[in-house]
Amino acid sequence: MSAEHFLEVQGLKKHFEVGRPALFSRDVQKVHAVDGVGFTLRRSEVIALVGESGCGKSTLALLLMGLEDPTAGTIKFEGRDITHLNDNQRKDLRRKIQMVFQDPYESLNPTKTIREIVTEPLIVHGFANVSDRDDRVTKAMEDAGLKPAEVYMSRYPHELSGGQRQRVVIAAALVLEPEIILADEPVSMLDVSIRAEVINLLAELRITRQIAVIFITHDLGSVGFFADRVAVMYLGRIVEIGTMLEVLENPQHPYTKALISVIPVPNPRLRHERIILKGETPNPINVPSGCRFHPRCPVAIESCKASDPPMVTLSKTHQAACLLLVK
Amino acid sequence: MQTTFQSTATNQTDASTLLGFWQSFKKSRTGMMGLSMITFVIVLAVFAPIIAPYDQSSTINVSIADIYQPPSASHWFGTDDAGQDVFSNFVYGARISITVGFFAAIISILIGGSFGLLAGFFGGRWETSLMRFTDIMLVIPDLPLTIVIVALTKPSLLNIIIVIGLLGWTTTARVVRSQTLAVKSRKFILRARAIGASKSHIVFNHVLPLVMPILVVQGVLVISLAILNESTLSFIGLGDPSTLSWGQMLNYAFARGAMSSGAWWALTVPGFGIVFIVFGLTLLGQGLEQVLNPRTDTHHLLATKPAVRHEARLQPNQTDAILSVQDLSIHYISNTQAPAKAVENVSFNLKEGELLGLVGESGCGKTTLMLALLRLLPAAGQIVNGKVFYKGKDLTALSEDELNAIRWRGISIVFQGAMNALNPVRTVGDQIAETVLKHEPKFPKENIPARVTQLLELVGITADQRDHFPHQYSGGMRQRAMIAMALACNPDVIIADEPTTALDVMIQAQILELLDSLRKKLGLSVIFVTHDLGIVAELCDKVLVMYGGVTAEYADVDTIYNDPKHPYTQELLKAFPDLTKPKKKLSSIPGYPPRLDNLPAGCRFAPRCPAAFDRCHTEQPALHSIGNNNHIASCHLVEASK
Repeated sequence: MSAEHFLEVQGLKKHFEVGRPALFSRDVQKVHAVDGVGFTLRRSEVIALVGESGCGKSTLALLLMGLEDPTAGTIKFEGRDITHLNDNQRKDLRRKIQMVFQDPYESLNPTKTIREIVTEPLIVHGFANVSDRDDRVTKAMEDAGLKPAEVYMSRYPHELSGGQRQRVVIAAALVLEPEIILADEPVSMLDVSIRAEVINLLAELRITRQIAVIFITHDLGSVGFFADRVAVMYLGRIVEIGTMLEVLENPQHPYTKALISVIPVPNPRLRHERIILKGETPNPINVPSGCRFHPRCPVAIESCKASDPPMVTLSKTHQAACLLLVK
Repeated sequence: MQTTFQSTATNQTDASTLLGFWQSFKKSRTGMMGLSMITFVIVLAVFAPIIAPYDQSSTINVSIADIYQPPSASHWFGTDDAGQDVFSNFVYGARISITVGFFAAIISILIGGSFGLLAGFFGGRWETSLMRFTDIMLVIPDLPLTIVIVALTKPSLLNIIIVIGLLGWTTTARVVRSQTLAVKSRKFILRARAIGASKSHIVFNHVLPLVMPILVVQGVLVISLAILNESTLSFIGLGDPSTLSWGQMLNYAFARGAMSSGAWWALTVPGFGIVFIVFGLTLLGQGLEQVLNPRTDTHHLLATKPAVRHEARLQPNQTDAILSVQDLSIHYISNTQAPAKAVENVSFNLKEGELLGLVGESGCGKTTLMLALLRLLPAAGQIVNGKVFYKGKDLTALSEDELNAIRWRGISIVFQGAMNALNPVRTVGDQIAETVLKHEPKFPKENIPARVTQLLELVGITADQRDHFPHQYSGGMRQRAMIAMALACNPDVIIADEPTTALDVMIQAQILELLDSLRKKLGLSVIFVTHDLGIVAELCDKVLVMYGGVTAEYADVDTIYNDPKHPYTQELLKAFPDLTKPKKKLSSIPGYPPRLDNLPAGCRFAPRCPAAFDRCHTEQPALHSIGNNNHIASCHLVEASK
C-alpha cells in the first residue's frame, strides 16, 4: 500500500430525490449535491475543501463519514473499498476517521460532563478497562489543549468558552486515535481572536499524531496557514485542486480567481480590484449545461455552454477544469 | 484508585445536580405551593389510620340519628348517608385517589413516552403508523369510551387504573415526539453517529435525558387527569363499590339525598379534596416546568468602579460631523442585580459621506451601542450617561415623537439576519410600501408603487420580483431588500449591523459593493458594524475598535491597520488570516472576551493582554489621544509613552 492510496475518492456522487415537478410527472427531480468528486489524501496531509454554500462540501463530508450512502463512486481507505458498509462493518473504521463539527455550541450534549463526552466514544467502542479509559481521556484532552485535564473533567459544556468547547469536540475525536480528522467549518462559529488557536491545534496534531486533516471551509483566507493542498468546489464538483501556494498564488480556474479576489485583505493599503460574480450559485436541481460555471463566468466562451470541461493537468500537483486551459 | 476517583466524582455531580435543581425549584413559588399541597395529601393518605378518628368501615351500630349529622366536635365534617364520619372517609379517600392517579399515570407515561420516542427518533413508517394511531385515539372522546369499557368490565379498582392509564397517553405521545424531533436534529446526535454509537445508545444516552424533563412535567399533569377521571367515573356510579374514593363519596351523597337534606358537608368535603389535589398537581407541574426548561443562567455582577477621567475629548460641534456620540454609557438594569455595563464612555464622530467601521467580537456591546443611538434598546437597557448629536440635536433629550421624525427619515438601520427581519407572509414590495407609509404618512398613495420599484432597482432587484415573498428570495436578495427598506425615507445615516455575516464570500462582496456604491450615489454616511477586520480594511474610512463595552482604539483605517497602538488591535490583526501572507503562522489571543456581567477590575483586556503590567489589573485606562485628536486608544502604555 503506497502513501498515495491512504484515502482515495473516485467519481463520488450523491443525488437526493426531492419529488416531482408535477403531480403525475414521471421524472423525479434530483438535487445533485455531490456530482463526481475525486481526490486522494496522503498520511498526515492537510487538504482544504473550499466552496460556497450549495457546493456540496457538507454532503461530501457526510459521505466520507458514511453517514450518507453515495449514489455512485467509490471511497477507498488503505486500499479497502469502504463505499457501502453496514454499521457493523463500519464500526472499526469509525475509530480511524473522526469528525469535528462546525458548531461547538450544538455538537455537545448539554446534560453531559466533559468527562462523559470524551469517554463516550471509548464506551461505544467497547473499551471496558476503566483506568485505561481514564488514561486515554486525559491524554486526548491534554493533546487537545485542555490542560490540566482534571480541571475540565466534571464541568458541563455551558461552563466553557466557544474555543474550549471546540477543543472538547476535538478531544472526543482524538480519544479513539484516528488517522483522519474531518473538520467541517470548525472555526466559523468562533470569535476571530480564538479561531487561530483551533486552527493551530489541528496543525499541531498532524505533526504530533500524524493525523491527516480534511478541512472543509467557505473561507479561503483561513486555509493558507496549514493546508498542504486546496480543492475548490463548485456545484458538486472540484473545479481546481493543487498545492496551497499553487491555488492561492496562481489560480487557474475563473471561479477560483474570483473567489480569491473577493477575500478581504486586512490591510487598507492593499485594496484591489475585485472580480465580483453576478448572481448566486444556481440551484443544484437544474445544473447548467456544459461547464456548470458558465452562466456566471466572466470569461466564458460559446463552447462553454455545450461541453463539460475535463480536468486539465497544469503541473504534477495542479489541476483545473476549464475549457480555456485545454490546449 | 482510578475507579474510585471516577465513581466519587460522578456521585458528586449527581448530588450537586439534584441540589442545584432543588435550589432553583425552591425559588418557584407556584412549584413550592403545589409541592406542599401534594405533600399534605400524601401525608393524609399514608398516615390515614393514625389521622382518621374513626375506622373507615364502622358501619355497625349506626342509628338513623347518625345520618347526615352536621359538623360537630365528634364529627369535624359531619357524617354521611351511612352515618360514617366524613372526615375519616375523606382521609382514606386520599389513598384511593393517589393510588389511581399514580399507577394510571405510570401506564400512560410508559405508553405515551415510548410511542413518542419511537415515532420521533425512527421517523418513517414507525412515525406514520404510531402517530396516526395516536391521532385516532385523540379524536375519540375519552370519557364516553372510558365509561363504555368500565361498564363492560367488572368495575374494580385495578380495571379502572388500567382503563384510565390506557386512554390517557395520547398527549404525552405527541409532546414527547415533538421534543424527540427537536433533540434528534441537534448536532450532538450526528456527532454520536459519527463516533459509531448504536441507535439504542443514542436513544438512552442522548435523547432520553433531554426528553426526561418534559416527561416529568407531563407525568404530573397526567396524574391529575387520572384523578379527575377516576372521580368522574365513581361519581356516575362506575367506581369500585368496595372502595370509597372521593368521587364515590360524592356519588353516594348526591344519590342519597344530601342535597335535599341540606347536608352540604357530605358534598363539599370530597369535592374540595378533588379540587385541592388537582390544583396542587397543576401548580407543581408549572413549577417543575419553570425549573426544567433551560433558561439563561444569572450571575452576580461586580460592584461599581470609580469613573475614569478621560483626557481625550472629541469636539462635539465639528461642523462636518453629521452624527456625534459623546461619552455614551449604556447599562442593562436589573431589579435583583447590579447593572450590566454593556457600553462605557464611547465617543465617535461620523462625518458626512464617511464610512465608519465598528469592530468587535461577540458581546463587546456594538449592537447595544447602535440600538442606543436611536433609543431602540430593550426595556432593561438604559442610557446612563452621554449624548448623541444628530445635526446638532441631542437625540437623548428628544421626546419619543420628535425622535420618530428622525428614525428612518434621518437615521435608519439594516438589521442582521435578513430572514428573521422580514415578514414571511407578505410580499417584499408590500413590506417596503408599508415602511414608506409608516414613516411618511403624508406620502401620496398613488406614487407608492413607483417609489417601491425605484427603491428595489436601487439595490439591484428587478421590478418583477416586487410581488415575491421573502422565501422566494435568496439570502443575498433578502439582504438587498432590507437595504431598500432602510433607504425608504431617504436617510442621511445608515447603520448596517453585521449585514453580511451569514452570507457566502461572493454574496458578501456583492452586498459590500452595493453599500459602497449607494454611499457614493446618495451621499450616505454609513456605520458598518462587523467582526470581520478584512471587510473593514476594504471598505471603511475610520475604525472604532470596541472591547468589552469600551473603546479600545479609534482612528482612520490606515492607522488602525498599519500603526495600531492598543495591544488588542495589534493582537486581533495577528489573529486574522491574511491571504497575502500564506504560510505565516496565525497567533491567537489566549483566553476569551469578558462577559459584560463579569468584567475584570482594571483594563478589560488585561487578562488576555501580552503587555499588561500591574496597573492594568487594577485601574481602568482612560482614553488617550495620540498625535492629533483623531487617534485615540485606551491603554496605560499609550499614556506612558507620551
